[in-house]
Amino acid sequence: MALTTQRVDVPVIVDESKCLEKCTACIEVCPLDVLVKNPETGKAYMKYDECWFCLPCEKECPTNAITVQIPFLLR
Amino acid sequence: MTYSELDPEVVQWVEMLQSPDLNDRLVAAKTLQHLGDEDTIESLIVALKDDSPKVQEIAVMALWEMANPIAIPPLLKCLGSTQPEAVRVEALAALKEMVSPDDLLTLLDEVQIEDETVQLNVLILLRKIHDAQALPYIAPFFESKSPALREAAVVTLRYLNQVVRFEPALALASDESEEVRRSAILTLGHLSDEAVVPTLCQALTTDADWQVRRNAAQALDLQSTPAAIGALTSALEDEHWQVRKFTARALQRVADDTVIPSLVKALSDEYSDVRRDAAIALGNLGNPEVLSALKQTLDDPDRDVQIFSGRAIQKIQDKLAETTHA
Repeated sequence: MALTTQRVDVPVIVDESKCLEKCTACIEVCPLDVLVKNPETGKAYMKYDECWFCLPCEKECPTNAITVQIPFLLR
Repeated sequence: MTYSELDPEVVQWVEMLQSPDLNDRLVAAKTLQHLGDEDTIESLIVALKDDSPKVQEIAVMALWEMANPIAIPPLLKCLGSTQPEAVRVEALAALKEMVSPDDLLTLLDEVQIEDETVQLNVLILLRKIHDAQALPYIAPFFESKSPALREAAVVTLRYLNQVVRFEPALALASDESEEVRRSAILTLGHLSDEAVVPTLCQALTTDADWQVRRNAAQALDLQSTPAAIGALTSALEDEHWQVRKFTARALQRVADDTVIPSLVKALSDEYSDVRRDAAIALGNLGNPEVLSALKQTLDDPDRDVQIFSGRAIQKIQDKLAETTHA
């Protein structure tokens, strides 16, 4: 069975291979506080699916690890 | 500033900014950007020379957000061709907001550096200063071998206050590069040499590039001189609707009765913008002979044309009423 290491069921997708453990840029800029660090891996992920699609997390990430998938009707 | 003078909260990030580990430097630069502490400016300026373009880019953004003029000279050094493009673009955007007339001499020093990328970017920045003192420094670029530099120089000329005559700009109206000609023609609209209007008329009627012809019509609109009526009349027949539109617009200010047949013909143009601008021009002329032609456009398929035709008719009728009462 193919396993995925990334959470893809939420709009904010974090590429864990690029996410820096000491960095908290996305968490600090998120206006809804829905991004957190996984204490085990030190990687960011979206804990609550309440995204406003405002995009600062994607823009501020120094390694371009974040992709926000904007719903078709909002594009 | 020594570490002991810094806020304890930022010390760890300033130290981390010098870490050999790229990831640590990225995190430190990003955090310092978010903290926005003015005391960290020196460290961020040092980070502009980091090995990683990404760290440099974040340092540029951080300095931009702090907007302290101390950062202007180091940011100017980021405009060179040896810098990564992303850093150059970000630094230029930052400098566009940060430079002020006080930085004129610094910019004039930079524009003399033998690096085309720096020269190009500094020419762009000089547009924000608007100071005619820059003219002698811009002038050599009008004969540059690089079309990009010639174009940047002629556009910058447009932004300099008090400059009304500059012959080298006229020569660029027949430059081999279309981009240069397009910009040169628009700049000529702001100048008042005797040769400007004939040059613009020639470009309007003979240039092979339609955008040059369109820009010539726009420039003649700025000049608004009756000397251009002949060229404008023939340009109403141009194959490109954008040229016809801006020609009709230019005629709104300078037309005389000799243009009426061409303007009436333009009322049935394929493009509604041309019909609208022709209707406005006819209204401004105020000649009652065109009333019947204008009335036919009251049921034009385009709502804009209907409205402006109505206004043009009203204008002519008001003028008629005034003359009758007088």
